[in-house]
Formats: sequence, structure tokens, C-alpha cells
Amino acid sequence: MSTLHSKAAQRFLETNKNARWHDDTFWVLRAKRDVMAHELDEWERLRDVACAIKRHTVTHLDRYLEQFVGNAERNGIHVHWAKDAEEFNQTVLSMLRKQGVKKMVKSKSMLTEECGMNPYLESHGIDVVETDLGERILQLMHKRPCHIVVPAVHITQEEVGHLFEEKLGSEKGNYDPTYLTYQARLSLRDEFMTAGAGMTGANFGVAETGDVVVCTNEGNADMSTSMPKLQIVAMGLEKIVPDYKSLAVFQRLLCRAATGQPTTSFTSHFRKARPGAEMHIILVDNGRTDIIGEPEHWETLKCIRCGSCMNTCPVYRRSGGYSYTYFIPGPIGINLGMLKDKVRYADNVSACTLCCSCDNVCPVKVNLSEQIYCWRQGLDSIGKADLVKKSMSLGMKYLFNHPQMYDTALKFAPITNHLPHVLMYNKLNGWGYGHEMPVFKKQPFHEIARNILKDEDKKGNI
Amino acid sequence: MKIGLFIPCYVDALYPEVGVAAYKLLKHLQLDVTYPMNQTCCGQPMANAGFEREAVSLAGRYEDMFQTFDYVVAPSASCTAFVRFNYPRLMKGKQRCEAAEKTMDICEFLHDVLRVTSLPGKFPHKVSLHNSCHGVRELGLSSPSECNMPKFNKIKDLLSLVEGITVVEPERVDECCGFGGMFSIEEPAVSTRMGTDKLERHIDTGAEFITGPDSSCLMHLEGVARRLKKDIKFIHVVQILAAGL
Amino acid sequence: MSTKEEILSRYRRNMKVKGQYDMPDLDALNGIEYADAVSQFIAMSRTVGGEVVTLEPGADVNEVIRKAYPEAKVFASNVPGIAIAQRNPDTVESAQELNGTDVGIVQGDVGVAENGCIWVPQTMKERAVCFISEYLVILLSRNNIVSNMHQAYCRIRMTDYGYGCFISGPSKTADIAQALVMGAQAARGVTVILTD
Repeated sequence: MSTLHSKAAQRFLETNKNARWHDDTFWVLRAKRDVMAHELDEWERLRDVACAIKRHTVTHLDRYLEQFVGNAERNGIHVHWAKDAEEFNQTVLSMLRKQGVKKMVKSKSMLTEECGMNPYLESHGIDVVETDLGERILQLMHKRPCHIVVPAVHITQEEVGHLFEEKLGSEKGNYDPTYLTYQARLSLRDEFMTAGAGMTGANFGVAETGDVVVCTNEGNADMSTSMPKLQIVAMGLEKIVPDYKSLAVFQRLLCRAATGQPTTSFTSHFRKARPGAEMHIILVDNGRTDIIGEPEHWETLKCIRCGSCMNTCPVYRRSGGYSYTYFIPGPIGINLGMLKDKVRYADNVSACTLCCSCDNVCPVKVNLSEQIYCWRQGLDSIGKADLVKKSMSLGMKYLFNHPQMYDTALKFAPITNHLPHVLMYNKLNGWGYGHEMPVFKKQPFHEIARNILKDEDKKGNI
Repeated sequence: MKIGLFIPCYVDALYPEVGVAAYKLLKHLQLDVTYPMNQTCCGQPMANAGFEREAVSLAGRYEDMFQTFDYVVAPSASCTAFVRFNYPRLMKGKQRCEAAEKTMDICEFLHDVLRVTSLPGKFPHKVSLHNSCHGVRELGLSSPSECNMPKFNKIKDLLSLVEGITVVEPERVDECCGFGGMFSIEEPAVSTRMGTDKLERHIDTGAEFITGPDSSCLMHLEGVARRLKKDIKFIHVVQILAAGL
Repeated sequence: MSTKEEILSRYRRNMKVKGQYDMPDLDALNGIEYADAVSQFIAMSRTVGGEVVTLEPGADVNEVIRKAYPEAKVFASNVPGIAIAQRNPDTVESAQELNGTDVGIVQGDVGVAENGCIWVPQTMKERAVCFISEYLVILLSRNNIVSNMHQAYCRIRMTDYGYGCFISGPSKTADIAQALVMGAQAARGVTVILTD
């Protein structure tokens, strides 16, 4: 029995000729992050402090939200609250309709992905244009992101070339990334010029000032919000930080952890609507107030969505984002998926060797691997335990609690060394997929020890 | 110093020579070593697979078996980490976990407690050191590559006491090999690919042996190597440290 | 009950986290300090894809800009003394009118040595000039360069426009095949002119 992740991962590895490139590419991101981490003497201290700020903030979130909203409203921003995806989508739609907006440009937001906003708006006749290059490529291909920071990394430049030939009228056969990026720039420039609204996500909301802070490398959040008369910010409740001093800590960590750059090219602070325009913030719960009630999992609320846990995860790197059934892959995605719906997304819990590397790269020290371990403990109670693993575990329990039987089993174990190949290397035995079986020794340590003890009784040594 | 020797189940059945080496080495260092005959398994295989409740009774047995010793020493970083860090949580409110708290992997015991400065044997070979995950990231046998801290490696320190040895490390020095207990059965494709990648990086060092503190990782890598007919040998660290005994 | 009340009361009801998590003392956190922050800033600016030139005493900043962008025809700025600018982001009717600008010239407030960031507060009606221009020139006094972001966040000020951005080099992307390309959606190149 194998999970959907396991099956999809196997397909990825057996059929995708870019599988090795995928692993190497993300390892490079991890390595660049390491360089950044090792350049700053205060790196580990920064992580400790970031963790402490987030723990404090998410456990005092009501207070900080009120402060943030109070300041934002004093700054003339309209603040809305949405308890779930449906209310969020409806709020956005009614805002757009009120202003007669037909087209909205937007920068990357995992929250809108979480809420399924684009399909919702499109079904109501709104043209939504993604402006992050990677997101735009995926939108034109009708695909979903495979990573939260580099969403289109799995698409080859040839595929982008063909896509742009068809959709943007670019030169046939020109797959040069610089050329293709420029083609997208020209096309998106038209969209920015004519859109009626611009939407961004939010990396941080600063309680003390009411600022919304957005980090991009492309400048598309600023392009999206510098021309239209309507600016909408989609923001998860947990994005609040207390003040600028805290913000400095996260600004320093975020991009270093994410892509190994010392900063994003643009760290934009939105405090007021621009002259003649309106600015709205929609604060979205969509399950976040339930997460705070999970004693073993509330710390996922600390996550700043840098993606470094994906980059370092040896399983993510070798299985690709699409092998996970939740829209956020990798260690944080396994956990967020389980928090969203633990029956529906249980298939991702197998995608972890418990190597703990994610725990060490996480800039806010989310205990990712420990949480995955905890989820595994609960799978049986929701009927999602692997039956083979379950029976093996029960069998082992019995055996290991009965030393004499264990002893006997050890004696007979070498028999399996001589079982026919077909019996050991079949579909039921995952080990046989890529391994030869280990060889049971004729004399286990138990028996050797018994003899040693006998000898020692006689001679006093070995 | 009274030492309880803990030999994890798979070492018992598959790698008894590792247990023998551990025993001989500790005896050579003048320690009072006892091997309680009733021991079986720490319960990690079940727990990591999602059945930690099946390990509770084993944790209880472990405590009864080992609590009178000054230290419990095991030639397995991963089992040590499981016992030391998970037993107290599993047994919270049920039973004290004194034995678990004084359980040490044999490498950290030799390095941190005994502080050995010499070893008797010779091992005139080039070995590639496999820094296994739980040894690195839970027990702190070496500085994790992710962390900004002064570099150290306790196993390398110990191995360098053996005459004639050359110790090298693979690229991606502490990336997981893909064993992960039942992960290797549930996610065979990823596990095999990780194992293959790791194996190749070890082979690329030009070493004759791959060595490490966990026979489990070595078992996985050896299984992959034999399937791929790769010609490299495997040996547990303690067998090298006990060379000549 | 409003959605706001509903969400906040749900949070309060569910907030069962044991243990008190206080705010850490951020004043005790010392960021990296450079003996020569200006040199570090220049080096970092180049690392992030920007150019840095120094305005020599007595030199005309307009000439420096022309020399940096000899092909450019359309300049936009509201910075006093930028005589080459034909467009002014304060007086354009709409932000869209700034499209087609070859070089935008803006004033930066604080430079950060650790990452080449410059705080550019909105001091013009249409901030689009900072992003829509093909190339961006940021004027920055060498006396306003700090070592790290902690210091920068203590220094920066918002204007009444209520917008400000740390800009670090040109717009960039690696979304196609992980190949780094300058000039995704905003400026394709950035030149920092260091003044006294």
C-alpha cells in the first residue's frame, strides 16, 4: 500500500527527465541560503528572536490585530474581515463590482491560491492577471504552482518559449530567458496600464503603524498598485508583526532563507491609498483561528512562507511540488494540509524521512519534522494508517515485548536469506524496489553475548 | 563506571559484529559492561511509522532494564536519539525515564564522557564518513551544515585517533540518505533515489569504505549498492574504533 | 455579530496555548556593523545588480545622469535641480502618462550596507515613476548609509503620501529556468549616485 504522494513521486522520478535538475536546482537555493546564514554572525540569534516575536504575536494576536486595524483605518484604509475563502472571494468580487472593475492585476499571493480566488472571479467575468512572471506562465498554462517562492521552476525554457509563441506572439524557437522575460514584460506592461484594480498579498502587517509590507524581486507588487484606482490587499491573520523593530528581523531573514539573496529587490510599505485611489485590506481567517487551538501544531502560524523547508527537503527535491496533494508542498505544506483537512491530505504525511533539516533552516524555527511525526501518530485513528505498516508495527510490538519469542525469531530469521528472489522482491515489499535484502547472521548478538557471558563466568573476561 | 550495553534489534540480528566491537571496545577501556539479555528494540520503527503507542511498553521495559546503570551506551545514533528524546515524552506522567536520559550513542560517550585520546588499532584505509541525520541534528555529533556555528565533528575526531586512517566526507555532507525506517518501504522510489545519490557521492570521494554511527543508514546504502552492483564496503564506526581488539 | 467580532472571539476561545510568550528585547540585538559602511554599500549594490557612481564636488548631476544613460531621451523627476527631466510625477494627470520614461530620478533617504537597499519614500504624486521607468537613478547622500536593517528601520520616515520602498538594485527574476534576468516588471537597471 502506498500513498498518493509515494505513487506520484515514483512517476516523477521514473518519467521526468528533469528530476535530477530539479534536485540540483533546489540544492543550489539551499546552498545559497547557507552562504547567507554563514555570513552573518548573528544568524542563529536572529532565528531565535524571530521565533520569539512570532510566538508572542500569534499568542496575542487579537490585541495586535485590533492595533493594526485601528492604525490602518486612521490612515484611511478600508479594512474588511473574511472568516473563510467564500467570504473572502465574495468581498473581493463585490468590491470590484462596486467600482466597475473588469480587469485586476495581482502580485503573487498564496492566500488567494488557498481561497481559490482566481477561478471564482473568472467565473464571475473578472479578468485576473497574475504579474509575477512565474505565476503568469502558470496561469497561461492553466497549471498550479509547484513551489511557493519559485512557482514555475519545473517548466522548461522551451515550454515557456512555445507558450509565449502561442499566447504573446514571441519569435518562434527563441528560448532565451532574457528574451522571453522581456516579452512578458511588454505584455504585462499593457495589463498594468489598463487594469481597474491591483491586488497584492502581504508578507507582513505592522501593528504599530498599520503598514502592509510586500516583498518582491520583480517589482510587480508596486507596478500592480501604482496605477489602478483601487488597491486590494489579501492578508492572512497571522501576518501581523508588532513594529518596525520586529519587521527588521524578518526582513533580514526572509529573502536570505528563501533564495539566498541579502534582500528582495523591493520591500514595499503601503500605509495609505495613493492620491485619488482607494486602498482596502481583507483580513482572512480561513482556519487560522482553529490552528491556534491545536496544542501540537499552533506554531505553524509562525511561518513566513520563505519556502526554505522545501528547498532543503530531500523528499521535495526528488519528488516535485505536484506529488503533494495540498497546494503548498514540502514540510510546511504537509503540516498546513493536515491542519486544513487531515483526512483529505493525509497522503502527504509519508513524504518525510524525519531528517530534521527543515527544522534547522526554518528562519522562525517551526518544529516541522516533530509536527509531521505527531500527525503520523494520529493517522490510525482517522482510518488513514498504512495497513502494512500497522500490521508490522503490531507484530513488532508483540515480538519485542516477548524476549524469548524475539530470541527464537532471531534464530530463524536467517531462513529468509534463502527465500526465492520472487518472494522477497515483489510489489508488496517496498524494500525490494531498489534494495537487495540485508543478510541475517547465523549467530545474532544475543547468542554471542550469551556465550560471552558463559565464558566470562568461567574466565572473568572474553 | 557501570555501563549497560544496548544493542538495537536490527544490529542484533543483522550486524552482531557491531555489537561485539562495541562490547570489546568498552571492555578495553576498563569499563564494567553488562548486556541485559531481555532487551529487544527501542520502538522507533513503530513510532516513526505512526504507532508510537506500540512503543510505550518497550519504553517501560527499557527503564526497568537499564535504570541501575551509570550510562546506557548503544552503537546507534538514531536509536539513542529516539530513546533519549522521545521516551520522556511518551512516558510523561507514567514513569520516570532515568535510563533514557543517560543513554548515549557510543561515539558521543567516547568523545564527551570518556574523552578518549588514544585507540589501540590500525585501519590503513580511506573511509567516507556518513553523517547520519539523527546523529547530526538530534545528538549533535557534528555541526549541522544548515547552522551557523563553529564546525566540529566528534566522529571524525575519534576516527583520527586510529592509526593509518584517511577520513573524507561526501559532497552534501549531511544530506539524508533516504532510509527513514518505514519511509524506505512506503516511499521506495524516493528512498532509492536518495540512497543512490548518497552512495554515488560517497563513491566519488574515492573511499574504500563507507562508515557511520548508524547501521540502519549503512544497511540501506548497502542494499542499494548491492542492487546496483557497486563495489564499496560498509563498516560501522565502532568496528574501526575497535580495530585490533 | 460582525465577522470581525466572530473571528476575534473564535480566536480568544481557541487560544489555549500554555506558557507565556513575551516579546523579546530587540534592543539587545546587534546587527552586523561594517567599519566602512560606504564601501560595503557600494560592493553590495553591485552584487544586487546596481551601479554606483560618486558625484564629484562641483560636478553637475544632470551630466552624470546623461553620461550614465547616453541613449536615454525621456527623463522624469520632481527632484529639485534635475533639469533634464521633461516629465514630472507631481504634475502628470495619471500614472499611466509616465509609461515610456527612459530614466526616472528619485531621492533616496537611507542606504543599507548589508544588502544594498535604499529607502525611497514617496515624495511625488505618482510613485509609478520609481517602477515604470526603464532605468532608475537614486540619489543618496553618503552620510545616510547605515550598516544594517535594524538601524535603517530606526531611521526611516514615511511622508504624508504613506508609501515607501526599500529598493535594492533593478527588478529581477529567475522564473524561467532559474536564469537570472534583470528587468522583470520594474526598472531594468539602477544607478545610485552618491552625493555628499
